[in-house]
Amino acid sequence: MNVHQILSGAGPYDAVTTQALAFRDLFGGWGWGGRDVAAEIDPRIGDRIAPLRVLHPRDGDVLLVHYSAYAPKLRGVLDLPQRKLLISHNITPARWFWDHDPQAAVVCALGRKQLPQFAAAADVAAGVSLYNAREFGSETVIPILFDPAGLGAPRDEEQPASWTVPERPTVLFVGRLAPHKRQDAVIRAFELYRRRHAPGARLVLVGAPINWAYDAAMRELAEELSPGNVTIESGLTREQLAARWRSAHAFVCLSEHEGFCIPLLEAFHFGVPVIARAVGGVPEVAGDAALLLDERDGESVAAELLALAVADGELRAELRRRGAARIAAYAPQRTARTLREALESLA
Amino acid sequence: MKPDEALAAARAAAAKRDDDLPAGMSIAPTERVSIEQLMEWANIEPDPDLMRSTRRFGAPITWAKRQLVHVLRQYLRELQSQQTRFNLNVLIRLAELEDRVARLEERGQARAPAEPR
Repeated sequence: MNVHQILSGAGPYDAVTTQALAFRDLFGGWGWGGRDVAAEIDPRIGDRIAPLRVLHPRDGDVLLVHYSAYAPKLRGVLDLPQRKLLISHNITPARWFWDHDPQAAVVCALGRKQLPQFAAAADVAAGVSLYNAREFGSETVIPILFDPAGLGAPRDEEQPASWTVPERPTVLFVGRLAPHKRQDAVIRAFELYRRRHAPGARLVLVGAPINWAYDAAMRELAEELSPGNVTIESGLTREQLAARWRSAHAFVCLSEHEGFCIPLLEAFHFGVPVIARAVGGVPEVAGDAALLLDERDGESVAAELLALAVADGELRAELRRRGAARIAAYAPQRTARTLREALESLA
Repeated sequence: MKPDEALAAARAAAAKRDDDLPAGMSIAPTERVSIEQLMEWANIEPDPDLMRSTRRFGAPITWAKRQLVHVLRQYLRELQSQQTRFNLNVLIRLAELEDRVARLEERGQARAPAEPR
C-alpha cells in the first residue's frame, strides 16, 4: 500500500512536519510506500519532504492531507481521484495575529475558511482532538503520535513525605512564542508567584518566535517585569529540551487557544505538574491530570496554583500518578492503530 | 492536598492578595478591526530591521539582504507608494459605503410605517 502525505508547509521545528515524519517511519515499518510532499518547504528540512510538484500518485494509492494552514496550492490535490484522509492540525483564529503578524493572520483566516471545503472533499476527515474535529462537524479523532521514548527517561520519582520546596524552583512553558500562547500572562503569573512565594524562582520559556519583533517584545516585557529571572530559548535539540523538562518543577500553560498541546503529554511523561487554562483541546488531553484554570481565573490565581503545585508533595505525587494514566491513554501503539485503521479503510 | 481541591484553595489565596505588577505589554485578540486601525495598516512601512535570515549562521545573509534592500530602495519606495495608494483608496471607499449604508438605514427607519393598531 502507498500512502502519500501532503503538507501545507514543512520546517525543522514544525510540529506537523515532525508528525508526518513519524507517520512515515510507521508506514515504513508496516511495509508501506509513498512520498511526503509540501506546498512550502523550509530549506533546513533537507530532502525528507519533497516539493508538491513531484506528487504523482497511482490508482489505489491513498492521500493523507495534513491541514494546518491556508495553502491554495493544495487545492489541486482535492481533484485527484485517489481516496483521501484529512487530518486537521488546528488553525489558530486570526484574531490573535492581526496586531503582531498580519501575514500569519491572513493565512489563519483563509485557512479556517478553507478547512470545511477540504473536509468535505476528503473521504475521511479527522481532527487531532475532538475539539478540532468538531470544528468541521466530524467526530473522528486521530491524535498526535506521541512517543515518550524519544524524549528519554523521566527524572527520579519524588517521595511526597520527604519533598522539600527547592530554593530556586524552575517554571517551564514550551510552545511557540506567539500571541495566543500568552507568554505575557505566563511571565506575569510567574512574577507574582516569585514575589509572593519563591524569590529565587526562574522561568524558562521554550519556543520559536513567530517573528523577530514579537520575540523582542516578549524579552522586553520579561526584563521589565522580572529582570534576570526569565530565559527565552528556541531551536533546542531533543536532548536540550529533555534537560529543560527534567529541571522543571512545574509547567504553566496560559494559552487562549490550543488544538491538542503536545507539551502537556511531555510534562506528564517527565512527571512535571501542569497548570493550564482549560481551552480548546486542553481539557480533553489533560483529563484530570492537570490543575485547570477557567476563563474567570487571572494570573493571580495561576500564581497561587503554581505555589501549590511546587510546594505540596502529596499534590505533586497525585498529579504524577494521573499524568502517567494520560500517557497510557495516548500510547503511540494506540494512535498508530487508529491511524492504520483509518488508512486501511480507504485502501 | 488533592488536585480537585487546589483550584478553590488557589482562588481563596489569590482573593487575599492585593499586590499588582506594573502595567506592561498585554496580548489581546483583535476581534473587529476599526477603520482607523485599517488606515494605519494600509499605509505600509516595512521596518528594514525585520529583514533577516532565519538560518543558524545567517548574519552575513542578513547583511547581504539589507544591502539589497538599500540598493533597491528607490524601486521599493515606488512599490510601497503604489500599494499604499491602492489600500487607502479602497479603505476610503469602504468608509464611504459604511456611512452611506448607515444613513440609508436611518432614513429607512424614519420612513417605516407605524405599527397597525
